[in-house]
Amino acid sequence: MKLAPVDYLILALYFAFVLGIGWRLRKGISSSGDFLTSGRSVPVWITSLAFIAANLGAVELIGMAASGAKYGIMTAHFYWLGAIPAMLFMGIFMMPFYYGSKARSVPEYLKMRFDEKTRAFNAFSFAVMTIFSSGISMYALGLLLKLVLGWSFTVSVLASAAIVLAYTFLGGLTSAIYNEVLQFLLIALGFAPLAILSVMKAGGWQGMVARLPANMTHAWTYMGSPTENPMGVEIFGMVAGLGFVLSFGYWCTNFLVVQRAMAAESMSAARRTPLIGTIPKMFLPFIVIMPGIAAVVLAKMNLGYALPLKATGGPDYDQVLTTLMSQFYPAGLLGVGMTGLMASFMSGMAGNVTAFNTVFTYDIYQSYIRKGASDHHYLTVGRVTTVVGVLLSIAAAYVATRYNNIMDLLQLVFGCVNAPLFATFLLGMFWKRTTAHGAFAGLTSGTAAAFLTLSCTQAEGKGGWIAQLHQFPSQMAQNFWIAIIAFATCFIVSVVVSLVTTPRPDKEMEGLVYGLTKVPHDATAKWYQRPAPLTVAVVIMLLILNIWFR
Amino acid sequence: MDLRVPSGWFFSLLGLILLGMGIFQPDTRAALTTENVNLYAGACMLVFGLFLLLLAWRARSNE
Repeated sequence: MKLAPVDYLILALYFAFVLGIGWRLRKGISSSGDFLTSGRSVPVWITSLAFIAANLGAVELIGMAASGAKYGIMTAHFYWLGAIPAMLFMGIFMMPFYYGSKARSVPEYLKMRFDEKTRAFNAFSFAVMTIFSSGISMYALGLLLKLVLGWSFTVSVLASAAIVLAYTFLGGLTSAIYNEVLQFLLIALGFAPLAILSVMKAGGWQGMVARLPANMTHAWTYMGSPTENPMGVEIFGMVAGLGFVLSFGYWCTNFLVVQRAMAAESMSAARRTPLIGTIPKMFLPFIVIMPGIAAVVLAKMNLGYALPLKATGGPDYDQVLTTLMSQFYPAGLLGVGMTGLMASFMSGMAGNVTAFNTVFTYDIYQSYIRKGASDHHYLTVGRVTTVVGVLLSIAAAYVATRYNNIMDLLQLVFGCVNAPLFATFLLGMFWKRTTAHGAFAGLTSGTAAAFLTLSCTQAEGKGGWIAQLHQFPSQMAQNFWIAIIAFATCFIVSVVVSLVTTPRPDKEMEGLVYGLTKVPHDATAKWYQRPAPLTVAVVIMLLILNIWFR
Repeated sequence: MDLRVPSGWFFSLLGLILLGMGIFQPDTRAALTTENVNLYAGACMLVFGLFLLLLAWRARSNE
């Protein structure tokens, strides 16, 4: 695939705007709060789009098209069963505590609700994970650009990192968030034509249903047994593992996304951020997953399109998106598509970097390295950490090029660390009897249970280092079950240890726990600004989608 | 800063570039496309960009 001059012009135009936004916003930064938490002043439509854009990195974009080709419409469960219910829960039930506690980060909330050790555990693991995620996504992008366009890995990695660094360094979180919205719009508008063109060429949805095996075009019908559906997952593992533990764990506790809602200008705006975000999120599968499914159909139609192959044989699903672009996008639109891909990479990376600098500055530096310095000092630390974060991500990307398997392994490890977190938050926010020792014991034993499950079971050759007690039909099923076991362990251990340790006095937990916090009632707001009607509307649309594609 | 202003300009310019391609090189095609997709996509983006600018302009004149 070769880009024409007009494609480079579009790429340059986009870079100019991204840097321009950072440049314009630099004047608004006078305190560490402005830089790291946007001074809680961002309008709600912007935080809502940034909330979903921060998650829509290049790895997700490429991965969703790949999963569409591999698993069919079941991939949409990541949205319709996973993300959206979790986002609704977060907006309605959890945001009042995050925003109302005045915590500046998720680890800081843990410190307020529990104690220092739980915060430290969360802050350190989160900091390490953001750096590696950003490195992995940089590596994925560099590899792709090299493969597709023949660009040098070093040049594309360094150039894109430099641009992300420039605008986050200048304008902090506000700049990252504003750019995420521009990036989101570009991804949506840049990839929608691909979805439309590829689905039309494949004969529309009806034509696709006619040409594909039935389990590729039904999201629910074949979930009774893991052997019948392409994901190899049964209904309980799907609903409990993905729909509950993993999605709620990610969307409700991951600071990367929660930070966007915390930057909103008021409590009401913070609560509406994930709620409004569900509406575009619900329709993203049509843009990111559908082209992948269409690719499988097109490959069967003798049009000259074939699924890309790996050097070792077998289809290389990660290249589905780019091969489709080269087949459907002429010079001009191709530039928009490639720019959209770069945009997704940048929004993912900026999300990681801005979450990392906040957690490092407030939860690690201010808490353990230097307390009580002037705000100006922390602003400087925040800026320096931004540079260091980008440099560490670049280093992680190069580690990935040397030791490819390490990255696979790290993703398994991160899964284990994330899995029990939601139980800790659920208990912490809704059961005031949960004690600090209970939470810490639960979190550590939940993480240990996740590692133990991974080490004792095997799927597609992954895991099972200690023993091979169980063989999962797919890695997906293994991930879901690790999450279920970690969550259950964390939940039970937290409850048991809490019951035998001394509870905290109610007075200390005001604003942090359900029952001791005044949840605002927006009776005076216009009906469409209240959470409840919005949620009802979203649930109805969600049910229609699930039934339609059952 | 009202984000609708830079986003509006960005999509308007992007739309104009694609529209220009669609008008002056109407025969540009990729392997599997039969239509002048640059023209249609460019028109949509231009309309979207102008719509954002209109919203921003209305918000300003209401202040």
